[in-house]
Amino acid sequence: MTTQASSVPNIQKKPRLGVAGRKRLLRAFALVVMLIYTVLTLFPFYVLLVRSFVGTKDSADLHLWIPEADDVNLDMQVGNLAVFYDLDLTDLKDALGIPRTEFLMARTTLRQVAEQYEIPEEEIKGFFEGFYTYNGWMTLLGGELYGTSFWGALIRTLIITIVSLAFVIILSIFTGYGLAGLRRWDQMAVYNVYLLQMVIPAMLILLPQYQMFLWIFGLFPNYDEPGWTRWSFQLSAIILINIKGTALSTMIFTAAITAIPKDLEESAIIDGAGRFQYVFHILLPLLKVPIVSLIVIMLPLFYNQFLEPYVYLDPANATLLPFIQSAVGQFSTNFQLIYSAIFASVVPLVIVYLMFRRLFVEGVMAGAIKG
Amino acid sequence: MGVAPATSLEDQILESGKKKKRSKLERTRMLQDWAFIAPQFIIFFTLTIVPFFVAIPILFTDMSQFNDPQINPVGLRNFTALFTDPSVQRDYFPALRRTIIFVVLNYTTVYIFGLTLALLMYEVGFRGGFFTVVYLPLMVSGLAVGYMAVMLFSRETGTANLLLMELGILKEPIDIFSAEGTALILPLLVGWRYAGYNMAIFLAGLLAIPQETIEASIVDGTNYWQRLWKIYFPQMLPSFILATTMCLIGSFAVFDELVAMGALYVNPEAKLLSILFFTYGFQVERLAMGMTLAVITFLPLVFLGIALQRLQRRVQY
Repeated sequence: MTTQASSVPNIQKKPRLGVAGRKRLLRAFALVVMLIYTVLTLFPFYVLLVRSFVGTKDSADLHLWIPEADDVNLDMQVGNLAVFYDLDLTDLKDALGIPRTEFLMARTTLRQVAEQYEIPEEEIKGFFEGFYTYNGWMTLLGGELYGTSFWGALIRTLIITIVSLAFVIILSIFTGYGLAGLRRWDQMAVYNVYLLQMVIPAMLILLPQYQMFLWIFGLFPNYDEPGWTRWSFQLSAIILINIKGTALSTMIFTAAITAIPKDLEESAIIDGAGRFQYVFHILLPLLKVPIVSLIVIMLPLFYNQFLEPYVYLDPANATLLPFIQSAVGQFSTNFQLIYSAIFASVVPLVIVYLMFRRLFVEGVMAGAIKG
Repeated sequence: MGVAPATSLEDQILESGKKKKRSKLERTRMLQDWAFIAPQFIIFFTLTIVPFFVAIPILFTDMSQFNDPQINPVGLRNFTALFTDPSVQRDYFPALRRTIIFVVLNYTTVYIFGLTLALLMYEVGFRGGFFTVVYLPLMVSGLAVGYMAVMLFSRETGTANLLLMELGILKEPIDIFSAEGTALILPLLVGWRYAGYNMAIFLAGLLAIPQETIEASIVDGTNYWQRLWKIYFPQMLPSFILATTMCLIGSFAVFDELVAMGALYVNPEAKLLSILFFTYGFQVERLAMGMTLAVITFLPLVFLGIALQRLQRRVQY
């Protein structure tokens, strides 16, 4: 790309600025644009981290770094703490040595609590140390919601992501392998059906699709009661939706397998290999590039899937994003918690992305050139 | 795009020679090939195409929720409701207006972000590091992007608002929960999220242009602007069509970002069409009506998308 200017220096005579000068100017300009864009891109992530440490009471002030933990205000009402910071009153009573049977009015302030039960104010401050700053993270990582926790949701997300990836790779290779053996007319007929995937949005078929799954689930009487059956049915519904194949996966595998010489398969079969053996032992290692391409494109889609899990999964079986969304319904005022949860949901994939960034860039460009 | 022809010369001769009579071995092989295609194809067909046929009978009933015990046929009432039923009109037309505004603005961000960055990258050479940064937002879920919008641009607590006001750039804070705020900020953030994807599409289009044509045009003394319009853009046409298809279908179906911005409950300004269909299906018990509206809205788009795909293929060859 850079040769275009240097290869023709003596033909192009610019009076004001030489080719080298213009090139340098372009470089500098591009560098500035890239720098600004990088800063703007990273800014929301940084703010998300900072805001996950900013208590709800301070959120109207500008915070550009993590604030220092400040003492609890003893004039806070217990009820407000419970609403805005998800304070568990039983924990408070246990920690301060107040009998559980005592009833704390919502409008009692902490100072009144201290006076009423003769607890030194220092002890209350000690209990609330870092309470505002780490509130979001403590609630998120320790909290329970509709019978599930953050960790359970994360594990279910990982299960769905990994199983879907494995199946979509195997099934797409099968599709590509089958298509590579067919005549062109048949290939295009199948491929055209897969092309519909690009123009049919999930929203259009969501409602009838869900109705179909309900009919199928309804055939199993166990489905109605919570338990493993329900859990596995709901998760497999999501996985089935994930592995149904796309235009891109069909195309990259058909193209890659068609490019492999037919002699290879013939010699393998002469040596006594079945067709499955050929696929798993010979084809699979040869298809590393398209497999990586498919993984880097599908991984974010599976991990960040929201619509289908939100519809199909019970709150108790929720994956990460529906879990966060239902947490919002319950703690709609605790934005600190929401930002912590969002940050926690973003981090795993971003780490994977940064670790394998070379594969991502290559895979995405390969996919884009084919697509 | 497209699948490379699988036939070698030998195969072609074979095919033309005995087209009607295939050996038994060949036929078994072909059946096996179809068997390899079958598993994924059946899943795909059942989950993508069959729902249309499931939906058709429901469109003519008053089914109000999933597994509705009592379903009555109502004829074409769901279809005519758009012209006769004021409650549907009150929901549908504002949502349609917001959606169209969003689609138009979102389509411009495809070019503002994707095309500009691709051209920049093309001129200074491919930079893996910068690509990593541009593609990073795609690792973030739509839900997270919606919450980032709330975090940065809520009226009183938005960090970007507070920062811009501190710096004196903004006089009045932007309110993400107002009509203008949603209309402006949402496409910006969605465009930011898909910048890497669109950049990859456009960059692939740019890289497919033969170097000779560009060099020849430089020799002929064109300036950059002329080259852009006469050389780059015409040859990038398939990329433009692909980006258009993806943006059109994607922005009509935008959902996650809106949910994060409170569209399901508190923020009526973020109620776009997809939210409306979802609400009809799951919240207000007007399932059949929701399906009908979804079909009326999306079916023309599906056909438009198919037409664009055909156009893209024709342009490419």
